Parts: sequence; structure tokens; C-alpha cells
Amino acid sequence: MAALTFIHQNLLHSTPKLTTSKPNLKPKRTKTKLSIQTIRESPQASFTDQFVLQLADSLEDSLPSSSSSSLPLQKLRDNSSETLLSTQWPSRKDESFRFTDTSFIKNSDINPISHPPNSLDLLEVSRDTQFEIFNFVDGFLVDSSFSSSNLPDGVYVGSLSKLSSEGILKRVCELLGDFEWGDLFWSVNGLGAPDLMVVYVPEGCRVENPIYLKYIAVEGADKGSKKMPLSNPRVFVLVEKGGEVGIVEEFVGKVGSECYWTNSVLEVVVGEGGKVSHSYLQKQSLSAAHIKWTSVRQEKTSTYELVEVSTGGKLSRHNVHVQQLGSDTVTELTTFHLSVGDQTQDLHSRIVLDHPRGYSQQVHKCIVAHSSGQAVFDGNVKVNRYAQQTDAGQLTRSLLLEPRATVNVKPNLQIIADDVKCSHGAAISDLEDSQLFYFQARGIDLEIAREALVFSFGAEVIDKLPYSFVQKQVKDHVKALLKSRRKGSS
Amino acid sequence: MAWQIQCTASPPLLPSFPPFTLKSTSSISLPLPLPLPLTRSSRFRSTHAPSPRPIAASFSAVESTTSTDGLGNSKTPLLEVKGLTAVIAETKQEILKGVDLVVHHGEIHAIMGKNGSGKSTFSKVLVGHPDYEVTGGDVVFKGENLLDMEPEERSLAGLFMSFQSPVEIPGVNNIDFLHMAYNARRKKLGEPELGPLEFYAYIYPKLDLVNMKTDFLNRNVNEGFSGGERKRNEILQLAVLGADLAILDEIDSGLDVDALRDVAKAVNGLLTPTNSVLMITHYRRLLEVIKPTFIHIMENGRIIKTGDSSLAKVLEEKGYTAISAA
Repeated sequence: MAALTFIHQNLLHSTPKLTTSKPNLKPKRTKTKLSIQTIRESPQASFTDQFVLQLADSLEDSLPSSSSSSLPLQKLRDNSSETLLSTQWPSRKDESFRFTDTSFIKNSDINPISHPPNSLDLLEVSRDTQFEIFNFVDGFLVDSSFSSSNLPDGVYVGSLSKLSSEGILKRVCELLGDFEWGDLFWSVNGLGAPDLMVVYVPEGCRVENPIYLKYIAVEGADKGSKKMPLSNPRVFVLVEKGGEVGIVEEFVGKVGSECYWTNSVLEVVVGEGGKVSHSYLQKQSLSAAHIKWTSVRQEKTSTYELVEVSTGGKLSRHNVHVQQLGSDTVTELTTFHLSVGDQTQDLHSRIVLDHPRGYSQQVHKCIVAHSSGQAVFDGNVKVNRYAQQTDAGQLTRSLLLEPRATVNVKPNLQIIADDVKCSHGAAISDLEDSQLFYFQARGIDLEIAREALVFSFGAEVIDKLPYSFVQKQVKDHVKALLKSRRKGSS
Repeated sequence: MAWQIQCTASPPLLPSFPPFTLKSTSSISLPLPLPLPLTRSSRFRSTHAPSPRPIAASFSAVESTTSTDGLGNSKTPLLEVKGLTAVIAETKQEILKGVDLVVHHGEIHAIMGKNGSGKSTFSKVLVGHPDYEVTGGDVVFKGENLLDMEPEERSLAGLFMSFQSPVEIPGVNNIDFLHMAYNARRKKLGEPELGPLEFYAYIYPKLDLVNMKTDFLNRNVNEGFSGGERKRNEILQLAVLGADLAILDEIDSGLDVDALRDVAKAVNGLLTPTNSVLMITHYRRLLEVIKPTFIHIMENGRIIKTGDSSLAKVLEEKGYTAISAA
């Protein structure tokens, strides 16, 4: 298993070679616009993927024309643009896309959204939450949707362009986009993000209420249409030494918007002793494409906790990368994926431990409840030479409820340090007979028992969500999805 | 003396005669059916007093004889097991090798026996556990063939088994589970299902019975429960769902003295003149708090001896070898 992933790494290392050819290609990109047809026929012929070039072009065209973009964002765009030139559209031959077919996106007419919708009054009124909600519409942060007045002193939540503090700007500039593990989608976001939302928590500050980010896809084509509007929301979270914050990310599509592509990036830097509790809810339309990156860097004694529930998207992929920057870190990833339709749910996670006494726990669960549904899990935990006395655990459980439902799991621990405690497990199953029998023994019929158990399988993860109103909302959503499935099948 | 009558007249006390043979050779009937409910209830009020027990036992014995009097007004037994054999579904290893047992309304039976004698298997087979396959014999419960019924139908028919080690169900709330089970019962009885609030009102008083706090309801079924909490939870389910025959499979294992008293008190509180209990246990101490009408000794997949509560004492003093040798 370890050997396999090393091959994967070699692949990544070979990219610098490709960049050498970049200068020659740059002019070509600005000049030529090739049709998709030609590209498809010879995508491997050159180091540059014409399709990606065209996409990069349209992304650049979609950016706000005003040159007011601040320095960090400009830097990010330049880097991303450069990287894109040497990146190919992923194929099934790439190890990290072996089980994830992205041709659905590639075969669509991708159209980066250049401005937020004109009428914002169609936004749902925020529900019965005691928290303020920060809205992203089609990748654009809606400033009017919040006021930061309720936040503690020194905390900044808002657009980078409105950030007045030189100090924070400098910190953002230092840290933004400093990431060597990204893929094509990371770079697409880097180039196409119209803005950057910054969440800054100063030293020793504990933010009581979670920062609730709601990403809404408003522009969307009908189901079955080739059109695919693309949005690239991007958020940067920086928690300084001893700070604490909760982030909730919720992704939804406006009712009636079926076909769209959300390509989102969240970067998190947790300072020494800091804590970030991250809840990620993906409830996109079942015809949408959803690609998400979460990159986390953890200083010593910091804590990062992720709870994810993903149910939407025809293709949904979450790439999580957690990098340990100091000793005694705590990392917990608890994730639940549900495919009730013809969907692919993919989690690619990577936790890299380079320092002593790190603690990492990962639980991934998925349910595939459709005969052409699929789940993919590639979970890598890397315990490097100096990460002695690491305590790392990983467990994945998959529930396949229909014939031909598919799951591809590749849990892998790479351990180089010699004084560590590591465990991992993977189970793929139907429901437990002993549990079903317990229901029956109390007079509950098999169908109801199955339904309750299927729900409970995911509820174990949902219960980890730190806010009860979020828990309830997600439970209702999952219940409704499972119910729709039952109705559909009967 | 009642004691004597019981010993001579009651069929289940004579191990050499399987119950069904006695049915045909109709035996003595004592005209004492009326005081029965009265004595039963008084017995349950004073479970710790030893004196009423033999009387109750004798009344039950009387009841069992009336059931076989052939006069047409006889009561059928609640549960009748004849020559039941069963194997482990996976390995086909035979565990039950011909079990005979008759339980009438209002009786308390205890099955004792060494580890591996088949006691727990017997109780699981009765409720239709999929790990076992019945290969022969009959089981009639309330006049119906139990072996034809699905596990949930058996439960709805009034058969309840408390599990020896109940399984954890992470993600399913205890109150939701009870609610589902209770509504399944109401549906079966043709009554309207209860909403969450009504159900809460129904269940709340039952918590006292098992000496549990309210937060117990909001925890996941058996998840992280201590041994004692699991047993209490089983009894809570019994209290909520009710049963004509409650099979308590080692309800005393892993309990400290106080917890055992709580559980026993709860079980005694649930007894009525018509419902019955089948206890499976290793220890006499349970039989001191829930007084059995009959004790059966199981060995190698059969009931080899049946007697009154004095059997437990013999067992304690001389061990199973004395009994199987006798």
C-alpha cells in the first residue's frame, strides 16, 4: 500500500519538469482559442492541455475588470495561472482520479460566472438560527448580508478588498496559497476566485458564535443541459496563537438550479494552541458538480476538528490536506457521504505528521443507496521520521444498500517513525444482523428497522456536529433523502 | 398441606413424565380457580416474604391440572414446547436436543444449568434468533404455532426476551427506539399511534420503575451503557411494551446487589395474575428476589429435572453433578 502512494508522489514530483516548457506556451494561450472537439482528440499530445488553457482563459475573462485586486489575490492568481499551464485535466490514469471520473464536467459547457445575480432578494431568509449568516452567491461574497459588529474586537470577517488592517493583510499575504499539494481544481479556484473572504481571529481570542458561511448557487442550468456555470468561492481562515473559532460551511443550490459547478477552496491556518472546529455540509443539487479543497496547517498544540456531511452533487469531491507544523497537535476528521442517486461521492484526505506527539483520528462513513451510485475514499496518514509518539487512527465504514452500488476505498498509513501508535480499519457491509434482530425482537418490522439503521449509520457522524440546530437541519435533510429513495424504488 | 398436594398433583414437577403425556391421562382437578388472582397479587406485593410462595405455586399447579381436565372449559397453556431441537445455523451443531416445557398463565419458571447446556439458545430459539435453526419439535404460544412466526410477529404476539448482552445501536436514540416499538404494538392492536409528546407522557412514569434518570432516554440504544444500565434498559422495554411471557436471559449477570434488587423489583412490579416469566440464570440470588413457581435444570440440550424452588438449594449445596447423577 505504501509503495503505491509513493508512486503517486513521484508523479507529483515530476511536475517541475513540465513547467520548463511554459514560456513557449504562454503566448499561444492568449492567441488561440481551440474548440473542444480538437482538444478531446489529442489531450496527451502536448504538456499543455488545450482544454485547461481554454478554461483558464475564460476564467481570466470572468474576473472583475477593476484593477483594485489586492496584492495577495493578484499573487494567488499569477501562481495559479502559471500552474494551470502545466496541468492536465485529470484522467482515470492519474492515481488520485483513478476511481473518480471528471469527464462529466469536462464534457459540459463550462461558463465561469462573472458577476453575482442582480436580484439578491431571492435569497432565502436565514432560518431560525441565532447566528448571523455570511452569504456567498455564485462565489461572490454578499457584503450586505452581515455586519461584523457582533464579533469580538480584533476579529475580521469579510472581503479581503475591504480589509483595512495592514497587519492582517501582511499575514494573509505571507500565508495565502502557500501549498504544494494542490491539483488542477485548486488552481482553477486560485485563478477564478473573484474575491477572497478572510476570517481573522487575533491572539487569545475566542469567538463564541460560529462563523456560518452559506454558499448558494443561484445561476444554474436545467437538468440534462450541457451548460455548467462555474463559481469559485474562496475563504481564508487565520487563527492566531490561542484563538478559537467555529466555521460552518453550507453548500446549497437555489431551488430550480440543477446543473452548475461549485469549485470551492478553504484554507485554514491554526496558530499555536489555537482551535478551529469546522463543520462542512454539502447539500448541492444531484445534477451539480462540486469540488472542494480544504487545506489546513496546524502549529504546535493546536486543534482542528472537521465534521462533514455530503449528500449532494452528481460528482462531489472533497480534498482535505492537513499539515502538521509543530508538535502535540490534535486532528479529528469525521465524515459522512451519502449517495442516494446516480452520484459519486469522493473523499481524498491526507494528514501529514512531521512532529512528535501528534494525535489524529479519522472516521469516514459512506452509504451508497443507488445501483449506479459510487463512493470513493482515499485516506492517507503519513507519519514521518520525526513524528514519534504519534497516535493515529483511521476507520472507514461503507454501507452498500443496492446491488451494483460501488465503493472504492484506499485507506493507507505510511509510517516511518518507529515509536507510534497507529490503527486503521475498513469495513464494507450491509446492515448488522444483530442490530436488525434487536429491532425485530421488539416488534418492529424489518423495513422500518432497516430505515432506522441506515439513518443511524450516518447519525453517528451527524451527532458530532457541534451545534444542535445544524444537527437537526442535517438530520431532517438526510431523512428526507432516504425517504425519497424509498419512494422512488417502490 | 398445599405443599404436598402440589408435589403429587402437578405434572411439571415429575420429570419422568413429559407434560404432553399427562394431558391425555387427565388428572386431579382442584376446585380453586377463583381465589387465584387474589393470591397472585398478594404474592407480588410481598415478594420478599417467603411464606406466600408455596401457596402461589400450588395454585399454579392447580391451574395446570385444570387445563388438562378434559372438561371443555380448560385453559390452554401459554407456552407449550415439545421435543424442540435446534442447531447453530452456520455450523449445524446441535444445541437443543429435545426440550419439553409447559408454561401456564401466571407462572414463573426458572431454567438453570451449566454453561453450554443450551439455556440461552433455548430462549433465543423461542424468539426466532437467526443464528439458530429449528430442526424438530413444536412450540405453541397462545394456541398458535410460534415457529411459523417472524421474530417481530412473536414480539407482537406477546413474547418478550431480554437480551443477555443487548447490542449497541449507535445513532438510534433510546426514546425513538421505544417509540417505534410501542407504536408497532399499537398498530397491531388497531389503536392510533402515539405522537412524540403523548409517548413521552406515557413513558415518563416508567422510568421510576427501573430507577433511571430522564437523560437515559436521550442516549443511543445501549451505547456506552454499563452492564447494569443495559439490563435496566431491557426491563424498561418490557415495561413499555408489556408481554404475556417475558423471557429474562441472565438478567442478573454483571449486576451488583443494588442493581439486582432494582431490576427484580421492576420485574415483580410488572407481574400480573396472567402474565408469566421464564428466567434463565446461574445464581440462586435472583430466585430469592423473583420467586419461581418451578425450577428446571437443563443439561446437554434437554430439561433433565423439574422441581420447586427447593431445587435451587440442592443445586447450591451439591452442584449440577448431584442432579444429573440423580
